[in-house]
Amino acid sequence: MRAFEYASPTSIADAVKALGGSGSSAALAGGTDLISRMKDDIVRPARVVYVKGIPELSGIRVEGSVVTLGAATRLVDLVQHAALAELAPAVRQAALEVGSPQIRNMATLGGNLCQRPCDWYFRNGFGLLGGRKQGRNLVRELEGEYAPIDVEETAHLVRDGDNRYAAIFMTDGDALYAHSSSLAPPLIALGATATLVGPDGERTVPVAELYRIPQSAGESELTLRPGELLTQVRFTAGPRNATYEVRQKQSHDWPLVLCSVALTMDGDRVSKASVVLGSVAPIPYRAEAAERAITGHVVSTETAEAAGQAAVEGAKPLSMNGYKVTLTRTAVKRALLAAVGQRYWEG
Amino acid sequence: MPSQDPRGRSGPSRRDFLRGSGVAAATAVLTAPAVDALDEARAAELAQGPPVLSGDTTITLQVNGQAREVVVEPRSTLLDTLRNRLDVTGPKRVCDRGSCGACTVILDGDPIYACTTLAVSCQGHAIETLESFDPEIVPAAFHRNDALMCGYCTPGFVTACKALLDKNPNPTLEDVRRGLDGNICRCGTYVGVLQAALDAAKALRKEA
Repeated sequence: MRAFEYASPTSIADAVKALGGSGSSAALAGGTDLISRMKDDIVRPARVVYVKGIPELSGIRVEGSVVTLGAATRLVDLVQHAALAELAPAVRQAALEVGSPQIRNMATLGGNLCQRPCDWYFRNGFGLLGGRKQGRNLVRELEGEYAPIDVEETAHLVRDGDNRYAAIFMTDGDALYAHSSSLAPPLIALGATATLVGPDGERTVPVAELYRIPQSAGESELTLRPGELLTQVRFTAGPRNATYEVRQKQSHDWPLVLCSVALTMDGDRVSKASVVLGSVAPIPYRAEAAERAITGHVVSTETAEAAGQAAVEGAKPLSMNGYKVTLTRTAVKRALLAAVGQRYWEG
Repeated sequence: MPSQDPRGRSGPSRRDFLRGSGVAAATAVLTAPAVDALDEARAAELAQGPPVLSGDTTITLQVNGQAREVVVEPRSTLLDTLRNRLDVTGPKRVCDRGSCGACTVILDGDPIYACTTLAVSCQGHAIETLESFDPEIVPAAFHRNDALMCGYCTPGFVTACKALLDKNPNPTLEDVRRGLDGNICRCGTYVGVLQAALDAAKALRKEA
């Protein structure tokens, strides 16, 4: 790992000052993502600002149905909080399945939301857009050095390569990685907002707006401005909500598909639905067709299945990930059934 | 309890040999002048915010109940600091990316990966490694249940197991599975490991 300066502020104001120095900087919380990226030379911050020592950045506050989560709250604390489990099982379930016990003891909510994509081309220095080329050589994004790989000028590392874990939606462009945050889908489904504090003050945006699809080499998928720190996430619980995740391994694995739903009910019928998918598109993907399909209906095996079918219409899988279409259909169905307390295997 | 300091053992050790042969090379690096020149603009910038550390920094870590002063850089991981600076070599460096669990240590009661934790951020926190464990409980249970083959993953498993039993002295098989999720054994001794964890819980209950 390259050398860097280190600051350990105890207030948000000091953290923002430290992050806003003249050189590049990075906020460090659990470190499970950042430290590995630094070891792999994918990112080289001149300064690392450790934010876990800031008391006001951690903690879970529940006031009525309004939930405020500090960005440096550990995932294990999200899992163990009784009131949160009651109000937002979608969030708890998503946090429960992230990584391993050690990771959940270290990793934080903010770190999960702001982690960079778990995409092997990105993690090997080839960026988010399938590799930039000079002539017939691939360029490593950060270093500007040539990798000795001879490729066709039209080659795209993900589209033409091993894309088994890549996106199945929004695959017309060059960004084909699958968005990795497990906590973004439930929080977006619940309509959560994120507070960002930076050199120009504080702003609050919907969690969905933390992400964008990068268009040019080196552009991040995160919309945080330089020196900005995610400080808290807030949402009003109330609707019925649930998360269902499909993984290859029982544990310590990334989701292949994750679906979070939040439903507002009018009696037995769904009056408003949010269906958000993770790991299937370069950003958390809102399945609007599934939302329309379930709205106005009682959630049953049949209507949930129809919503699952609606969710995957328009999917454009790549050469190796067609299986994700089937998984998505099932994940949507099971998440909807879970939200109304129905066990999918008893339908 | 065995000594925590391998230098206290009699006879030559592999680590002492390696350390000795590295002295000549290391001296040249250490005596080179390390000049840290801050220009005026930078100094003004630093004055506004919190203190910024860079280069060699002296910190104190609470390791197995002892305050240990050590010189690190901000980039030194807790794992490398324990192993290379403090001779606490129980936690192992295997994947070095927070995936395998061999580096597991207990920080303030919770198992964590020491390879993706910076030593500077551990000041003021209690660090426990398997050097401090009662050898008659978890390590003995691993021995009794044949819970290892090559042994590389064993310190991590023992540590994760101890952390689990500290919080849940009466775990079910499912609790043990979940508690040891973050450790990998490529020899595939999982059956023995799960048995050992349940056996250690039994031994703890007997002792209590």
